[in-house]
Amino acid sequence: MRRGLIIAINLLIMGFILFFIVRYANEKADESYENGIIAFEKMTVTTNQIIANYLEDEQHLCDIWANYVNFSAQEGAPMTDDEAISFIRRAKTTPEIQAHLIFLDSPKRAGISTTAKVSDPDVYDVSYKNINIFDNIESAGNSNDAVKLTRAYTNPMNGVQSIAFYNFVTVLDKESGEQKSGILMRVVPLSSLEQKLVFLKGEYENVEISLIDKEGNYVVRGKSFKNSNFFEYFKSYNKASAEEYGQVTGKIAGGTGTMTIKNFKGEDCILSYTPLEIMTTWVLLAYIPAKDLVASRSIDWLLLGIASLGFLALLIFNSVVMMIYNRELSEAAQQANQANEAKSYFLSTMSHDIRTPMNAILGLNEMVLRDSKDDSIRMYSESIRTAGSTLLGIINDILDFSKIEAGKMELVNVDYSPASLLNDLVNMIQQKAEDKGLSLNLDIDRNIPTTLNGDEIRIKQIVINILSNAVKYTHQGSITFSVHAHQIPDKPDSVMISASVADTGIGIKPEDLDKLFVAFERIDEKKNRNIEGTGLGMAITQRFLDMMGSRLEVESEYGKGSVFSFELEQKVANWEPIGDFEEAFRRSLSERTNYREKFTAPTARVLVVDDTSVNLMVFVNLLKRTELKIDTAESGDEGIALFAKEPYDVIFLDHMMPEKDGIETLKEMKALTDTPNREIPIICLTANAISGMREMYTNAGFDDYLTKPIDVEKLETMLLQYLPKDKVKLVEDDAEISFADEKDESELPEFLAGIKEIDVDAGLEYCGDSEDYVETLRLYAGSAEKKAEEIEKYWAERDIKNTTIKIHALKSASRSIGALELSELAARLEKAGNSDDTETLEKELEELLSRYRQLAVELEPLREQEECL
Amino acid sequence: MKKTFRTLFSLSMVVMLLLQGCGSAKKADAPFEPKYDKDTEFSLTVAGSYSNFESLEAEFERFYEYYPNASLQYVSLDDYNNTISSALVGSEPPDIFTTKSSMIGDEKYDDMFDACEVLSDSSVDIDYSCIRSSLIRATDAGDVVMLPIFTTSYGMLVNMDIFEKEGLKVPTNYKELVSVCEKLKSAGYESPVMGADRFSGSGLFNCFVYPMYAYNVIQNSDKVNALNNFEPSSGELMRPALERLDEFVKSDCIDVAKCQEEITDEYEQVIMRFFEGDVPMMFAAGDTVSGTAKRESKSDAFSANPFKYKFFTAPAGDDGGYFINSISICFSVNKNSKNLDMANEFMRFLISRKELNNMAGLKRLITPTDDFSADEIYSAIADIPDKRSFSDKETGLLDPAVRQFRAAIYAVGNGTMTVDEAIAAYGSIPEE
Repeated sequence: MRRGLIIAINLLIMGFILFFIVRYANEKADESYENGIIAFEKMTVTTNQIIANYLEDEQHLCDIWANYVNFSAQEGAPMTDDEAISFIRRAKTTPEIQAHLIFLDSPKRAGISTTAKVSDPDVYDVSYKNINIFDNIESAGNSNDAVKLTRAYTNPMNGVQSIAFYNFVTVLDKESGEQKSGILMRVVPLSSLEQKLVFLKGEYENVEISLIDKEGNYVVRGKSFKNSNFFEYFKSYNKASAEEYGQVTGKIAGGTGTMTIKNFKGEDCILSYTPLEIMTTWVLLAYIPAKDLVASRSIDWLLLGIASLGFLALLIFNSVVMMIYNRELSEAAQQANQANEAKSYFLSTMSHDIRTPMNAILGLNEMVLRDSKDDSIRMYSESIRTAGSTLLGIINDILDFSKIEAGKMELVNVDYSPASLLNDLVNMIQQKAEDKGLSLNLDIDRNIPTTLNGDEIRIKQIVINILSNAVKYTHQGSITFSVHAHQIPDKPDSVMISASVADTGIGIKPEDLDKLFVAFERIDEKKNRNIEGTGLGMAITQRFLDMMGSRLEVESEYGKGSVFSFELEQKVANWEPIGDFEEAFRRSLSERTNYREKFTAPTARVLVVDDTSVNLMVFVNLLKRTELKIDTAESGDEGIALFAKEPYDVIFLDHMMPEKDGIETLKEMKALTDTPNREIPIICLTANAISGMREMYTNAGFDDYLTKPIDVEKLETMLLQYLPKDKVKLVEDDAEISFADEKDESELPEFLAGIKEIDVDAGLEYCGDSEDYVETLRLYAGSAEKKAEEIEKYWAERDIKNTTIKIHALKSASRSIGALELSELAARLEKAGNSDDTETLEKELEELLSRYRQLAVELEPLREQEECL
Repeated sequence: MKKTFRTLFSLSMVVMLLLQGCGSAKKADAPFEPKYDKDTEFSLTVAGSYSNFESLEAEFERFYEYYPNASLQYVSLDDYNNTISSALVGSEPPDIFTTKSSMIGDEKYDDMFDACEVLSDSSVDIDYSCIRSSLIRATDAGDVVMLPIFTTSYGMLVNMDIFEKEGLKVPTNYKELVSVCEKLKSAGYESPVMGADRFSGSGLFNCFVYPMYAYNVIQNSDKVNALNNFEPSSGELMRPALERLDEFVKSDCIDVAKCQEEITDEYEQVIMRFFEGDVPMMFAAGDTVSGTAKRESKSDAFSANPFKYKFFTAPAGDDGGYFINSISICFSVNKNSKNLDMANEFMRFLISRKELNNMAGLKRLITPTDDFSADEIYSAIADIPDKRSFSDKETGLLDPAVRQFRAAIYAVGNGTMTVDEAIAAYGSIPEE
């Protein structure tokens, strides 16, 4: 994962946590705010109680004064106003509190005060003419309110904002001598009331308490309220419809509650309201800015800040640790890459170093096989080819696996003939099966289309691997190879090929099935230690099938055998069915020849450059029968010199050469302008067969490449592709064979046709021509007695090993002369010898030797004929 | 004589003080620079007669930007004229208080003015050069102890939409007024001009002809003493104004009876009737105009059909209207304030073209500064030539004399006296 992505994910997680904290904090703050509002409302109710108590106390004091004055009147000795005020002056103890006795009937609403006017100490007269606080006095007087209180007003005697508690008194008019009514007011500075609310300051610093009447007029006005009427204030600064406005006034006049309003700054404020208990016409308002109730939110932000810093520190720490680890991992990865490069280098080297001598070994062996007339030598040579092929198979497996591991294995789909593919497969495996005495049963669907499209090479590898395994792990019994084709619904252009290989081999334990596809893992290693293989075959097979969209199914019973099967969807290029493959195969088998060149091209010229002279010899000899004119060069410079002056049709250039390698040589060749070979194809010969080589060589400028050891089939196919068509003459197999048959048969002694033990056609096929065949028959007959005696000698000594080796030689020799039944008998006895089956040997060895000697006798005329010559 | 001398002395001192202030006009425009530590904690109380004073409270907020720990509050005193003196010597004296120009020279307020800080003292460092010179009042000693915050005038509110609709221009002289009224009358406006038929200064007759009368008095300043002393012959100076009024009420311009019927007070009713939208011209004083903004939303008619309106001088003169500028309120500082320095600091902040215009704009009164353009509703005043623009103080008329003129126009306007009768009865015309 990239560092940026990790950091982004970390930040995302941090963001999520912070978001959660913020949300949680907000919810808590909201909760706290709600609780704050509830507490504030409770405080309002408490304040109401405190104010009520205070007002009641003050009213009570006022009432005491009034009662005293009125008691005098009731007793028939009413006080004059001066006497009443004098009494109160004596009774009151607090200097800031005044008493005013006002006569509303007087023109100036005048009266007398207990305290002189501050601006004139001689004046005790007081007038309320211009102070409008008595308008509702009559209705207030008739109410049942316990407290009779004026609104806040300016005390005319001292200019102090005050409230006044009042009661009605009856005094004696000095002038008229009659009783008259007056209002006795206990005038208290507003600040006295405010002092009672000082307890609020600790908890609610900015709370403002107001008292309003039902119409919203202030009795006591908080500092923040701007208008003279609270409802006007609300209307001025809060957008509300007439209906909403009505609801607000109704709520405030109707009971206790809390609402959010805007103040003159447009800020949210909390307003709690409750009717004054003792004065039903008054409402207590407690106002506070909303932000004062959410002060605790800042603490959450502090926590959030600390959490953020903590997370950031954690991220930085983790990033640093991660960077250190990444650096170490990077170094480890670098080392691993270096190791991987070393492995690739090793594989490349191994590929090259093994394949180069293998080219010589197998190429020269091929020459031996072609040219040798000696049966034993041919047999040994055959063994060399088999062992070489096995070794090459192992190398190829390793290289394929390295390709797959590197992700460079690609499928190359081409049109191919399934019949030809099956033919190759059966050809490749049948001999191995026969060598182990196993019967190979074929069950090939007649309806398989003639031409399919797919990666023929890889399919062949898959089946070969499965069949090879079946042969390897089956000691007796049979191998059944089945291939069937099925139509695929909705896919008219494709066919489903089902292939299975059933054997009667050792089988696989259920617990080992999982190991089957693990690279380098070999099942039942102890038991199968003598069986060659890398443990890669099934792994490669499974990988190839994966790439083709299939998988290998295995059904196995330990000790009884296994069935390996798979299905492959293949596109169809030609729906014509292949027909009876088994019959066709048998026919081709009978028509098999050792080697036949695909073409002749006597006028074509080929240049091959390789620093190894043996490889050059192999190359030339492999193409001898094509009659090509082949020039050889043992170095890049030598090749360039020939390239500059001689015209060629194809050039083969070895990659790994001392001094100037193939790529350097190619570049110099391409750079030459004065040459007759400017447009001709140049093919790389390489022992490097690991993944990526094709890209490397084509990028370097080669037209194609051919791996060593050279497969003559591939070499001839490649030449057919690149040689000018007019210089190539294809070999017509049937015509040549029939011509050869006629020629050979005309030269063969006639008595041979009468010998039942031999099949002349099979013998010719193995030996190549009649001359070689006759010579082989002579050698066979000449050595028969000696070999038969050797077998008898070893058998008499019960030397089973050497007996078996000699029987093996007899088997091969007999087959090479067309004595097929005798060869089969020898094969059976060879198998018996290999399995220490002395009983069979005892029973049938005599027959074998008898028939062997009889055949030699029947061939005696050939020896006599030679002696005559 | 004593009063006359006192007035003349005051005027001469004012001229001297203004000459001093004029040189620093630019200083008044300079941004306010706090003199004290901005963290200073203090509280100030401003006392006044307004039941609420939102424009001042807006200034408190602006002042808090410089002194965030300050706490200012406005206290409305009942019976202000009688209680302010007591308040100043009481237990909770205000630091700043409102005063009126009429108070100066009145013995009743001598103690009050004794308690005032001398704002013209250079140590106080208040630059009032932005205030129109005619509005500065000083004590006998020549001390400026009060500075005007709002001014007012007498004139008329004009419904501009009606004039636009009828394709008419707002009349600038009496002839045009009569002509416009005729057209409006014929267009269906029963009483093209309306107003409150009240005795007060905001009454329609006063708004119409008092500026004209005041101008005439200024032009005949030699007769001011006679007017103030109620010399019977001096009443003749009222004749031009009374005759113009008589001519006016008898014209089609106004239906006095309709005014009496539909407008029963000189404030609320004037505004609400004007907002009905069918009165082209409504006589009103600046104090009345100040109540229009708040009442726009209270008038259903205006809310439904709002219109543009402006204040103009009444076109009573043949040459045009007269702009008489009266001080509405002044601010004075209590020199015994416990926070005298900060009270002066607030005044220093407030007395600037910007803040005074701002306050006047919010209150919808006429700014005391020389810049009328700040408030569109009063912008037409700027068109009045200096010759016909003056301060009420320039008339030299004392309050009783003014009240006699008011009684005269009230009687003539309502037809209880003829012009001649009113002139003959000058000094003894019954007041309300």
